[in-house]
Amino acid sequence: MQSILREKWINLVSVLTIAAGLLLTTVIVLSVYNIDLATGKLPEKFSMMVYLRDDLSQERRTDILDDIKDDGAVKSVTYIPKDEALDELKSTFKDIAYVIDGLEENPLSDSLEVKLKSEAFGPETVKELSAKLKKIQGIEEIEYGEKFLSSIHSLKVGIRNIGFLFIVIMSVGMIFVCYSTVKILFYRKNREIETYKLLGATKGFIRAPFMIEGAVVGLSSGLLGLAGILLLYYLIIIKLSFAIPLFKTIVFPIHMSLFLPVIGLLIGLTGAFLAIGRIKY
Amino acid sequence: MIQFQEVSKHYENHTALRKITFSIQKGEMVFITGPSGSGKTTLLKLIYLAEKPDEGSISVAGVTFSRVKEARVPLLRRNIGVVFQDFRLLENMKVFENVALSLRIRGLNDRDLKARVFDALKIVNLRHRADSFPETLSGGEQQRIAIARAIVSEPSIILADEPTGNVDPETSRGIMDTFKDINARGATILIATHNRELIRQTGRRVFKLQNGDLLGEEIG
Repeated sequence: MQSILREKWINLVSVLTIAAGLLLTTVIVLSVYNIDLATGKLPEKFSMMVYLRDDLSQERRTDILDDIKDDGAVKSVTYIPKDEALDELKSTFKDIAYVIDGLEENPLSDSLEVKLKSEAFGPETVKELSAKLKKIQGIEEIEYGEKFLSSIHSLKVGIRNIGFLFIVIMSVGMIFVCYSTVKILFYRKNREIETYKLLGATKGFIRAPFMIEGAVVGLSSGLLGLAGILLLYYLIIIKLSFAIPLFKTIVFPIHMSLFLPVIGLLIGLTGAFLAIGRIKY
Repeated sequence: MIQFQEVSKHYENHTALRKITFSIQKGEMVFITGPSGSGKTTLLKLIYLAEKPDEGSISVAGVTFSRVKEARVPLLRRNIGVVFQDFRLLENMKVFENVALSLRIRGLNDRDLKARVFDALKIVNLRHRADSFPETLSGGEQQRIAIARAIVSEPSIILADEPTGNVDPETSRGIMDTFKDINARGATILIATHNRELIRQTGRRVFKLQNGDLLGEEIG
C-alpha cells in the first residue's frame, strides 16, 4: 500500500486510462447488445409469402400447408384466401378502392403466410426454405425481402465483429497500460528486488506487492468505470429519453456493468503478471 | 562447512578465480585477503549463489551447488547472512524495517520479529537508531546495520565483504569484536578484507588471494 501511495501519480494516470477504456468498451458492448436486441425482433415481423396456384383442390392445399409446417425452421403457417387478401388490399388502399371494385375478377392468388422460428432465422435458412418450397407442386411463387434480409443480417454480423474486435483491442490496450505501470515500478525497484533475492526471498514474496499493485489499479479502474457508466445512464440517457423518445428504447442491463470491477481486477492482475515476468536467481 | 574444489570463474575479459581449493570447518572464522580485484568478492558471491562457477565444485553446509535447482536457491540463501560491501540497505525503509526484512522474508510475524530485531541492533550498539532512515546514518553505522541484518536470522554462515571498509580504526575494532561474539555463538564466518591491520594477531586462518589465484594460507 505504501508503494501505491508513493507512486500515486503514475498509478492515478493508469487508473484513469483503464477506467476510460472500460467505460468506452462497455458503451460499445451495450451498443452491440442493443443492436442485437433490435435485429433479434425481426423474425417476429418477418414473413414469407407463398402464392398458390388457382386450380388447387382443398385437399392439395391442406397437404402443402402440412408439408411446410413440418419443416424444422417454420414456426407457423397461415392460409390467406384470395378474397380475404383482396379485402385487405381494399382497406389498405381506400382511396383507390373503386379501381379494385372495377375489376371483373379477383387478380390475387390464395396464399400462405409462413413465419420462421427465431433460432432458425437468417438469410441462408430463408433461401434454402424458399428453394425447397419452390419444388412443391402447386406453389406458384414465393416472395420475401431477400435483399433487406441479407443487408440486415450483414449489418448485424458486421457490428458484432467490429464490437468483438474493439473489445479485443481495448483489452490488450488496457492490459498494456497496467503492464507498463507495473514494469516501470519494477524497474525502479530493481535494486530493492535484487536485495530481496540475496536475502533469500522467494519468487512469491517478490511478486506479491506488484500483483497487489496491479490488482488495486485494475479494481479501482473497474469501480471508476462502473461509476462512469452508471452516471452516463442515470444522468444522461434517462434525461435524454424524456426529450428524445428514441433513447427510451435503449436497454441497459445493469448486471452486465456490475462485472466491470472484476474485469478491471483481471486486467490488472494479467498486466502485473506479464510485467514481472520470470524471476531469475 | 564450506568446500571449494578446483573452482574457477571467468568473465568476458578476465579470470576472476583460478582453480581455487579450500575448506572451512563449522564454527571457524576465516579471513580472505588480497588487493582490490583479487577475486575476494567473486569468491563470496559464489558461496551465496549470486554467481555460478565455470569449473569445479562448491559445497556449503552439505549441499553441492551444482545439483541445486533454482527454486531451492532462496532457501539456501536463508542459511547465509551476508554483509555486502555496499551495505544494500533500503533507503525507503527505517533501520528497524531494514533489519526486520531478513525475518519477514522467512515468514516471521510482527510480534515474533520485534524482539529479535532489537536484540540484533543491541549487538551492534544501534538500538537507539531503530527509527532512523539509513541516509541519516554515518558510513560506520550503516555498516553495522548491515551486520545486524545479516545476523538477525541467526544463520549458520556469515559472509562479510569489506565490513570495515568505510569506518575509522576504532569502529573497525568494534565491528571485529561483534564478529568474534557471533562466531563464539557457533556461526561460521568468512570475512573478505584488504585491511591487513585488521587480521593481525587474530590467530585465525587467512587465505591470500592475488589475481584470482589462491597463493596460500597463514595464521593472522
